[in-house]
Amino acid sequence: MDSVNSEDRRQRFEAVAPAVIDAVRRFLARRTDPSTADDVLQDTLLVCWRRFDEILPVRPPSQGGTAPDAVLPWAYGVARNCLANAERSRRRQGRLLARVWRLDRPAEVVPAPDGPDDELTAALDALRAEDAELLRLWAWEELSPAEIAVVLGISPNAASIRLHRAKQNLREELRKTGDAAGHEESTEGSRP
Amino acid sequence: MTDDDDLRARLRRADPAADLPPYDTSHLLETTMTATTTAPRRPMLTLAAAALVLIAALGTWFLLRPSGDPAGPVAAPTVTELTAPGIAAKCVEPSADRLKEAADFAFAGTVTGVDGGTVTLKVTKVYRGAAADQVRIAQTGDISETMLGSGKFETGKDYLVASARGSMLICGYSGEASAPGLPQLYDTAF
Repeated sequence: MDSVNSEDRRQRFEAVAPAVIDAVRRFLARRTDPSTADDVLQDTLLVCWRRFDEILPVRPPSQGGTAPDAVLPWAYGVARNCLANAERSRRRQGRLLARVWRLDRPAEVVPAPDGPDDELTAALDALRAEDAELLRLWAWEELSPAEIAVVLGISPNAASIRLHRAKQNLREELRKTGDAAGHEESTEGSRP
Repeated sequence: MTDDDDLRARLRRADPAADLPPYDTSHLLETTMTATTTAPRRPMLTLAAAALVLIAALGTWFLLRPSGDPAGPVAAPTVTELTAPGIAAKCVEPSADRLKEAADFAFAGTVTGVDGGTVTLKVTKVYRGAAADQVRIAQTGDISETMLGSGKFETGKDYLVASARGSMLICGYSGEASAPGLPQLYDTAF
């Protein structure tokens, strides 16, 4: 790695990094508590920096070589794995500790601007974790099925089929919770 | 399609990161790009955890191992046994100087057998310390983060192992011979 190349690499990374950091921060804020999010953000960025060459084979910027959009799905995928790692090691430290930690620090995640949408939260919780994640990637990260495929490491075709099903399932759940109006908090016993 | 848009809009309204405060990225960026040029490839935390795991595992093995060892090989090769340090739960970046300073025994070897908790290595080169044909070290079955490289001893693979007063040095000082930087570290130190 000669100095000219590494300087060039640095510059290319610096060009995309702010957009990536911002996006990954949001990605993590949606999925974990703030302190874990901080740690995982660092890990993610480190991995991105180390493996930068793998995602951006040297391409001149004119050909979109350094477009943040092209990097984002890949970066989300990295963040997803780092988050899974962080959560795994936390689980290893002791499930009880993890639970206390979570109870002690109730989601500092900023509540939605218009007030919480309990029905939606309940409906998302009722979905399979994979389905809910697909929907989040679609609505929150605003990814296309092809980009979701990169994040999850599946084929674009599979992503688009699963996304379609996930939407159907969410609508179904929303209908169910809508029918069970007046029933709050507990998701248990809400089955018809 | 409009139905989809509705659904997406509703999900978006529930986005917990919708009003995330702005954040200064330059510091994080700087630490990231400078960290990689100097830091070892494995995160410190992993190494620290690995150190603890290895200490625990070796400790257990040390307590449980048979006191006499009458069933040793007939040819009685020189066998060196290593145990783990009772300290050092945190790792600093490995350096050749520290390795040179700390290690009183260092060797390259090939794993010839993994038997229960004990790994036997055939010594191919002694960098420092008394010559030995064989070294026995304990391994914890499914723990995969004890050393550099793949993280555990596997039969047939080559390793570089350093120890001080009978305690194996981890924290980036021992590991698979193909682990990035490790052979260079040994070459510089010895």
